[in-house]
Amino acid sequence: MPIDPVVYEYISSEVECPANQVIIEEGSKGDWVYLVLEGQVKVKKRTPKGLIVIDTLSEGDIFGEIAFLEGEYADRSATVMAAEGSVRLGILDKELLIKHYSVMSPTLRAIIKSLAIKVRETTTRICAALVAAN
Amino acid sequence: MTDGKERISTTYHLRYKKGDQIFKQNDFGISIYKIVSGKVLIFRECEDVDVPIAILGKGSIIGEMIFFLKATEVRSASARALEDSEIEASHPMELLKEYEVSAPILKLMARQALNRLTRMNRFIDRLIVDEQAKAENFKRNLSLWKSNRRFYRKKVELECTYTSKTRLTGSNATLKGKIINISMTGLGLDIDPRNESVIPHEIGEVFQLETVLPNAKELKLICALVRASKGRGYISLGMTYLELSDETRKILGFFLLPA
Repeated sequence: MPIDPVVYEYISSEVECPANQVIIEEGSKGDWVYLVLEGQVKVKKRTPKGLIVIDTLSEGDIFGEIAFLEGEYADRSATVMAAEGSVRLGILDKELLIKHYSVMSPTLRAIIKSLAIKVRETTTRICAALVAAN
Repeated sequence: MTDGKERISTTYHLRYKKGDQIFKQNDFGISIYKIVSGKVLIFRECEDVDVPIAILGKGSIIGEMIFFLKATEVRSASARALEDSEIEASHPMELLKEYEVSAPILKLMARQALNRLTRMNRFIDRLIVDEQAKAENFKRNLSLWKSNRRFYRKKVELECTYTSKTRLTGSNATLKGKIINISMTGLGLDIDPRNESVIPHEIGEVFQLETVLPNAKELKLICALVRASKGRGYISLGMTYLELSDETRKILGFFLLPA
């Protein structure tokens, strides 16, 4: 997916991660939002059968947004690791994101938050279904 | 369902009885609902299977996916009251205007989250429908197995040889037995108890069995042991076929035709 031009103005810094480096750890606290500039990352979930890959994200994809949109110091919903080869990431300007998010009406924020919660819950359901099916 | 009388601008208070449908998958509609009290089941209707997505309670928002699609698509799921529920329904015209002028980055994040959710919901549908199909197939095969067993089992006395095909415990020894009945799905076999000391005869063991039918046709069968019982001076085994080639099926079918 090509990088949406609107994201560029939010990139506050860039970081290069070697293959298999953990970028976000499931359950940890944090609300940095990342953009994949180059390479791929794997999104993984902990299950009783170990870590399973639930998604692979590439150039133009944003991740880490679920905890940010949920707010209130939500836990990270999944682990994100650099895939094979290195990956170059943009870290989005958190202050600017918070500024934009906080000027939204509480109702609109609640609707977006509800969407983020559903993504988190559905991810958990997928893992449970995959573990049960295998 | 009974509509409440209270109306505040574009917000309506609605009451639903247990079992009432709040909205239906594939319907057009843009209203967003907030559960004031009660419980609501969100489910997807996929190939005649209701796939439950979530049970939501007080404070939860439902129907918001369509908001992000600006009602250009139909609802992706249905909602039903699981108990008497009070719901606040809003027509989000003002919210849509606000959303339109909000920071593009937040809209991009919401759009990506929405795409991810849609993709995952489809994936769950597939998983559940596949599981359901597997369970139905199993039931169908079981009843087919029972009816086949009832109608086509034929009493015979056929000498046979068999070898173990179980990977870990298998030995190369070829043993002898006597097939005492045979059907399209399995056979009964009597063996000498001494065979047990050569290779294991435990339930689940896989064997390759060879015999010659009275019409001189050769049969090679891959079977799993499903039953073993000891008689006086023999062991009676029940085997079920794991696979039957078209050729074997034809030979066996012809042999099992009523005389």
